Amino acid sequence: MNKIVENTLLKEKIVWRRIEPGLEVFVLPKKGYKKKYATYSANFGSIDSHFVVEGEGEELIVPDGVAHFLEHKLFEDEEGNVFDRFAKLGVSSNAFTNFTNTTYLFSSTDHFEQCFEILLDFVQNPYFTEESVEKEKGIIEQEIRMYEDNPGWRIFFNLLTALYKEHPVHKDIAGTVESISHIDKEVLYKCYRTFYHPSNMAVFVVGDVDADKVFEQVAANLGRRNYSSQGEIKRIYPKEPRELANEKIVQELVVSQPIMNLGFKDLDVGYGGEKLFQRELATALVLDVVFGSSSKLYNELYEEGLIDDEFDAGYVAEKEYGHTIIGGETADPEKLFERLTAGIKQAQQNGISAEQFEHHRRKMTGDFLKSFNSLEFIAHNFLAYHFKGINFFNYLDVLQSLTLEDVNQRLREHFGEENRARSIIMPKIG
Amino acid sequence: MTIFKQTRLSNGINLFVHPTDKFKTVLVQLIFHRQLAEDDVTECSLLPAVLQRGSNSYPTRQQLAHKLEELYGSELTADVSKKGERLFVVFNLNLVHDQYLPDENELLRKAMTILKDAINNPVMEGEGFKAEYVAQEKEQHEKVIKGLINDKIAYSVERCLQEMCKDEPFGVFKYGDVEKLRQIDNKSLYSFYRNFLEVSPVDLHIIGDVEPEKVNALVEEVLQFDRGDEMSIPDTVIKTESGEVKYISEKLDVNQSKLVLGYRTGLTYADDDYFALLMYNGILGGFPHSKLFQNVREKASLAYYAYSRLEKHKGLMLISAGIEGKQYKQTLEIIEKQVEDMREGDFGQEEFNNTQIGLRNQFLVEEDSPALVINRALDGMLSRRVEDTGKLLERLAAVTREDVIRIAENVKLDTVYFLSNKGAEQA
Repeated sequence: MNKIVENTLLKEKIVWRRIEPGLEVFVLPKKGYKKKYATYSANFGSIDSHFVVEGEGEELIVPDGVAHFLEHKLFEDEEGNVFDRFAKLGVSSNAFTNFTNTTYLFSSTDHFEQCFEILLDFVQNPYFTEESVEKEKGIIEQEIRMYEDNPGWRIFFNLLTALYKEHPVHKDIAGTVESISHIDKEVLYKCYRTFYHPSNMAVFVVGDVDADKVFEQVAANLGRRNYSSQGEIKRIYPKEPRELANEKIVQELVVSQPIMNLGFKDLDVGYGGEKLFQRELATALVLDVVFGSSSKLYNELYEEGLIDDEFDAGYVAEKEYGHTIIGGETADPEKLFERLTAGIKQAQQNGISAEQFEHHRRKMTGDFLKSFNSLEFIAHNFLAYHFKGINFFNYLDVLQSLTLEDVNQRLREHFGEENRARSIIMPKIG
Repeated sequence: MTIFKQTRLSNGINLFVHPTDKFKTVLVQLIFHRQLAEDDVTECSLLPAVLQRGSNSYPTRQQLAHKLEELYGSELTADVSKKGERLFVVFNLNLVHDQYLPDENELLRKAMTILKDAINNPVMEGEGFKAEYVAQEKEQHEKVIKGLINDKIAYSVERCLQEMCKDEPFGVFKYGDVEKLRQIDNKSLYSFYRNFLEVSPVDLHIIGDVEPEKVNALVEEVLQFDRGDEMSIPDTVIKTESGEVKYISEKLDVNQSKLVLGYRTGLTYADDDYFALLMYNGILGGFPHSKLFQNVREKASLAYYAYSRLEKHKGLMLISAGIEGKQYKQTLEIIEKQVEDMREGDFGQEEFNNTQIGLRNQFLVEEDSPALVINRALDGMLSRRVEDTGKLLERLAAVTREDVIRIAENVKLDTVYFLSNKGAEQA
């Protein structure tokens, strides 16, 4: 009844069981670690703002920031604050919401079973009152204000706003002060009912634990709750056109020098699974070859003082959207833009050589292995990829399955002019 | 975890080996100790960037990066950090343990050789480092110094510390200052470096699945450089009196105001009472169950973040919160009330117990992070107080309510720093 995913190179294995009514539970036993880390995720993020409410057939558009708001409010129930229950056991609990999912977590050393029970309980026990919903708005408003002053956050969302005309990925995860003012307990309950059914969720536990005991505990907890089964959730995403919303967005903030991000919207979307994983790793490899710290372009720009060592290029691949973001702080955003686009053109003409391909594959292998020290990294990635229909443990195999032609094709097709936008932060004077 | 093995090598490097089979990696940290001083910190923080530009074997940044990538993405990074009035120039080498690599069994030696080259064989030009590298890194470093303002939370905390410790070495910014930077050239920096290598005390930490004897031999063989008489670094001066409270306010065109309060605690990691202070800080503002989070955020909805933390080698405590500018007075009152309540012993047994068990959890999980294991060893060496987790937990468990109330007397407000937006109240 348990499934086992083993990776011989990593010397790690994951034990996996599906528990009625459809919750996937994954356990990665890590001998010798003091920390036991558990996450409980709902496949519900900031982009899920238009859907059919479970049990009602009603199509609903919810205020921006509702998934994040719900995350804050689940930490309170009839008996008070959930933090207090964890605190009694010396445990820090937390949660985060991103574009596609909401994750609740704790990190314990002793009392794992008790903590795990609290986690399972509070995530399955929504309790929203008008008063508590209103009170939370002041706190989230300050969270939003904090991010408004964060240049890295602002440049990121301005870029997404430039790249995407329709898709809600361009909206801030926490929403706006205005949008959260429309959130009330009814809308929170509707979202909860739709997205927090066990079949739309998953659990990941990593640490020195016994997998079967974890499964038994989950089964007993869920068994008490008389869930009925739920059909497929109907999420409605707008059709994202090929065109950009803007070619360039500029904002002024109190910063020491300009920041420039160059983005490419992916036009090849609409699928998950291994095919998506291949596309992601192929793109990551391309970016590493063209913009990585051993590339000619990177070193020229560095020596000219156009970039610093925080300069970065990354690619995000989700089922419904995907984009590349390249950039960092710069003395001259226009010049950096010209140099990057010329560099891409040059790379497209030259192509990636077999030697470069192998070299960067080797580097990515090392990077992947190194990241397995972190229990948090393992848990977060495994579930995020699981919701995309991808087994994260297959990383090295998928990397090996790539061909030189795959990456060269990606290099030729992904970086066009019609899917390219810029976001710039300029220093505010005075 | 067993405590590290410490050896003094023939060239005066203190080698610390932490053998453990928990990790996929081997982490090496080469740590140079300096006194934190205004006339020294700019050179110290510029050095690592210049040394990473290349060595005789890999004379450009690009070649060096390429070589590291070939070693399965081994990372060589460097930075400065401070603990009390001591500055550390730290080189990190982070690599995959080669037991996970079927075609590789000498990765540590290869990576150590790169580190050695960066330290021993920088690219030279006459009597100095290569002039072009120094000029470019000076420009980059100037941006680092000026870039502090980009992160408003870090900026406000640093500014509070600078104002608070204006007349003490601790107030020196770890990246130095632009004026001093402009005076540095490739020759002056190189002669600084020769002396730096000779006299700075040096620690080398290695953590991972390694055998101490083999590592000793490897380091003796690979990492050799000329050493002279080690400089002695004075202990950090701990001020206990704060005098009249200083109020500093600054305006920037920002959306959220930042309130930072600096306190003198008079206690450091070296003191027997340090654990009572740790408990004090935990009850006040170290956790979600703490007074600051509960009262500033949960009850009054004034902030998203509100916490306190210790500067454990300087005897300071900082409280930081991001608020609406017009709520300065209300927030300050609530914070001061929490500190007052601590002094009065107005905290419950539950707050006390939750903090004790929360701190216990934190100590235990430190063992799961290679960098935190090294950091703890460094704290211990610095305070002449090297203790294993068991001993630390014993000291934590021994703290009583009375201890916390007793040391609360020492905690004195020194500086209130307020970074405000345009619509804010005057501080």
